[in-house]
Amino acid sequence: MTFNIAIAGNPNCGKTTIFNTLTGSRQHVGNWPGVTVERKAGHYNYSDNSYDVIDLPGTYSLSAFSVEETIARQYLVDDNADVVVNVVDASNLDRNLFLTTQLIELGRPMVIALNMMDMAEEKGLEIDIETLATLLGAPVVAVVGRTGEGIPELKEKILRVATAISEKSRNININYPRDIEVEIQNILTKFGPRESASPKSRWMAVKLLESDQMARDHARTLPEGEAILKQVNASVHRLELLFKDTSRAVITQARYGFIKGALMECVKENLKQFNDYSRQIDRILTNRWLGLPLFGLLMWLMFKITYDLGSIPMDWIDAGVVGLMDLMSRIIPESMFASLVVDGMIGGVGAIAVFLPNIFILFFIIAILEDSGYMARVAFIMDRVMHNIGLHGKAFIPMVMGFGCNVPAIMGTRILESRRDRILTVLINPFMSCSARLPVYVLVAGAFFPDHAATVIFSMYVLGIVAAIATGKLFSKTILKGMSKPFVLELPPYQRPTGRSLLLHTWERGYLFIQKMGSVILVGSILVWALGYFPRDVTLDHDYKRDARNINFKYDDQHIQLGERYLKSIERSQSEYHSEMIPYAESSDFLRLKRQHDSLRVLLRDQESEELFAVRQAELGEITSKKWIGRLGMTIEPLIAPLGFSWREGVALITGFVAKEIVVSTYGVLFGVGEDVDEANQGVIQGLRTSGMTPLVALSFLVFTLLYTPCLATVAAIKRETGTWAYTIFSVVYSVALAYSLAFAVGYFGRMFQWLT
Amino acid sequence: MFNFRKPRHQLSQDHAGELRLSDLKPGEKGIILEIGGSEQFRIRLLEMGLTKGIEVSLDKYAPLMDPMELIVRGYHLSLREVDAHKIAVERSE
Repeated sequence: MTFNIAIAGNPNCGKTTIFNTLTGSRQHVGNWPGVTVERKAGHYNYSDNSYDVIDLPGTYSLSAFSVEETIARQYLVDDNADVVVNVVDASNLDRNLFLTTQLIELGRPMVIALNMMDMAEEKGLEIDIETLATLLGAPVVAVVGRTGEGIPELKEKILRVATAISEKSRNININYPRDIEVEIQNILTKFGPRESASPKSRWMAVKLLESDQMARDHARTLPEGEAILKQVNASVHRLELLFKDTSRAVITQARYGFIKGALMECVKENLKQFNDYSRQIDRILTNRWLGLPLFGLLMWLMFKITYDLGSIPMDWIDAGVVGLMDLMSRIIPESMFASLVVDGMIGGVGAIAVFLPNIFILFFIIAILEDSGYMARVAFIMDRVMHNIGLHGKAFIPMVMGFGCNVPAIMGTRILESRRDRILTVLINPFMSCSARLPVYVLVAGAFFPDHAATVIFSMYVLGIVAAIATGKLFSKTILKGMSKPFVLELPPYQRPTGRSLLLHTWERGYLFIQKMGSVILVGSILVWALGYFPRDVTLDHDYKRDARNINFKYDDQHIQLGERYLKSIERSQSEYHSEMIPYAESSDFLRLKRQHDSLRVLLRDQESEELFAVRQAELGEITSKKWIGRLGMTIEPLIAPLGFSWREGVALITGFVAKEIVVSTYGVLFGVGEDVDEANQGVIQGLRTSGMTPLVALSFLVFTLLYTPCLATVAAIKRETGTWAYTIFSVVYSVALAYSLAFAVGYFGRMFQWLT
Repeated sequence: MFNFRKPRHQLSQDHAGELRLSDLKPGEKGIILEIGGSEQFRIRLLEMGLTKGIEVSLDKYAPLMDPMELIVRGYHLSLREVDAHKIAVERSE
C-alpha cells in the first residue's frame, strides 16, 4: 500500500533534516501550484509499504496570514495526508506545540516527532513522553534528526498509525475556558449532519469563532451557511464583550493556556546553567561594533571563494568547450549544420556552462549560511538599511548575490517569506551589476576613457545600486505598498550544518539552474546565431575587392618610389665617401640610410594593412548590416538615434538581451575581428574609436547596458520566481524604459554642458 | 452580515505614561500587558508566544540600533523598535 505522509512543523525545528533522513536522496523539488514556495516531495519504503512524503512549508500557525500557512493549511484541510508527522523542537516546546494544538483539531491521524531531545536535556528539561502522548492524543517519538537516532521507531509509528493497527490517534479535544466552549457548542449545533459527522467539525467551529476568513468562506457554501454565520457573529460578539479583546486573540491565548497545562503535567524543569554556545557566538557575530565589519568580511569571503575557487574548474570547462568546438568542426563537414552546432549551440551554451562552478560554489556557501542559522542574523544586522527601501533585512542576501549573477540571486529571493518582499526584491535585483556586464565596461571604458577606466567602471556599479534603491523606494510607495509585513523574526540557535543537507540544497538549486537556464540559453543562442547567419547570400553595394586592389597598387607604387629614392641617396652618399679604412658597406653613413629606409618601409606596410583593415571592416560591416541581425539594427536605429546610438549599438543591445557578454562578441563580429574576442582586443577598440562614437555616447551606452534587462536567463528566473508574466513583462519594460531615460539624460545634459564631446 | 468587525479593544495611541517594550534597556525584563497594532500583527505575536503575562527580556540591539533582540519563552526573537513600541509592558525582575 502507498500512504501519503505530510511533515508539518515550525520553521527551524529540524523538519527538513527529518524529511531528508526519511527519504534519503529520493526527493523531488518543485513549486506549489501557482506560488513560488518550494514544494519538497520524497519517497521511502518500509516493511512492504511505500510512503510518499511531502515536506510542508515551516509555519508557526495555520492562520493563513502567509502563503506558506495557506499552503500547509489547505493541504491538511483537504485530507491529502494519511498521516501527519508533526516535528516539534523539544528544547522550545511551548511555542512549537501551538501549531500542534491546531493540527490536533484538524483530526488527522498524527505522529509527533520530538526533535532535538539532546538540546532539551542540555537545557535541563525532562520530558515524560508517555504522558505527553496521552495529553496530545497522538504517539510521540523522540528523535535526533541530525544523527538519525529514533528514525526507525518513527517509521514504525507512522506505519501503525497509517494502518490503524494499534495506535490510532484518539480524538482528544483542546479544552478552552468554559465561556469559549459554550460558544463552540453553540456553533456546532448549527452544523448540518454532514459537517457534524466530520472529524474536522470542531476545527471548523473554532476557526469560525476566530473570524477566520477561509472558514467563513467555506461556511458560506454550506446549505446551513446562513444560520451558522448568524450564530458565529453572535458568539464572536459575546466573546469580545466578555474578554474585551478580539475573539481571535482570546482563542490564541487560550491555546497557550492549554499548552501550559499540558506541560505542567509532563515536563520537569531542572533549569541548570547550560553552555549557551549560540548566545556566545552571537556576542561576536551580532556585536554592536563587530557585527557589521564581520558581516562585510563574510560577504567579501563569499565572493572571493566563489570567484577564486570557481575560476579553476572554469578554465577546465572553457578548455573543454573550445576543445569540443574544435572536435565538432573537424567531424562535421563545413556546412550550415556545422555552424549551427559549433557556433550556435556549443558556443552559446558553453558560454553559460562556464559559470556553473561559480553558481554551485555560491549556492553551497549560501546553504552553509542558511543551515547554520547565520542568515537570520544577516536579516537582523541589515534590516535597518533594507527597511529604508521598504524591504525585510533578509532581502539583502539576494542583492549581494546579484553582483555575481542575477539568476541565482533572483532564485535566492525564496528565502524571503512575504510574496510582496519577494517580488520587490526580484524587481530591483537586475540593477545590481552582474559579472557578465564587466567585460562590456572594460571594453567600452578602455576604448574611450583609457585614463579613467576604473572610475567609470566603479561608477557603473554605484549607479546600479542607486537605481536599485530608488526603484525599491518608488515601488514600495506605489505598486507594492501596504503589503509589507512587520519584522517578526526568530533567531534560531546556531547549528553545525550536515554535509548531506548542504549537498542536497546545493544540488537542488544548481540543478534547477542547469535545467531552466540551459534550455533558455540554448534557444537564445541559436536565435542569435541564426540572425547573424541568414540570409546566406548578400549582394554588396560596394566593390571592396577593388578598394583593396587599389590600396595594394597605391602602396606598391609608393614602395617603388621609396626604393628609387633610397638607391639615389646611396649613390650620392657613396660618391661623397672617401675613407680608405672602412668599406662603404660597413660605414656609419650607409647604416644610417639603411635604418632610415627600413623604418620607412615598415611604416608604409603598417599604413597599408591599416587601410586594408578598414576596407575589410567596412565590408564585414555591410555584410552584417544585410544579415537579419543588421536589418534588425537598422530597423530600430531611428528609435535609438536620440541616444546617439548607431545601428551597431542597436545590434549589440539586442544580442545583449540574450546575455550581456554577447555585447562584446557582437562588436567582434561587427568590426570583423571574429567572434572569439575578449574585451582587450585592439581590433574592436580601434573599430569603436573609428565608428563615430563619442565618449559621451559611449557613456550613454554603458548606462544603457547597465540598466536594461540583464539577460534571457534572468527573464526566465523572474518569470519563475514571480510566477506571473505580468511582473516579468513589467520588469523588462521598466528596466528598458529606465535605461533609455537615463542614457538619454546623460547625452542631453552632456551636450548641454559640452562634456566629453 | 459578512463584514469583519474592527477589533473592539485596541490600544489608543496616546499612552504617554505607559511603559513600552521599546523603552526597556538591554538586559532589562518586562511582562507583557497588552499588544497594540493591526490585528494581524497582534495575532502573529500571540502565536509566537508573546501572550499577556509572559516575561520578555531585551537582549540587545542590532549594530545599527534597530531591530532589537528579545528572549521570550526561551527562544530569541527580533522585532523592530516601531513594533516594540506597540507592546505595553511592566518592568519585572
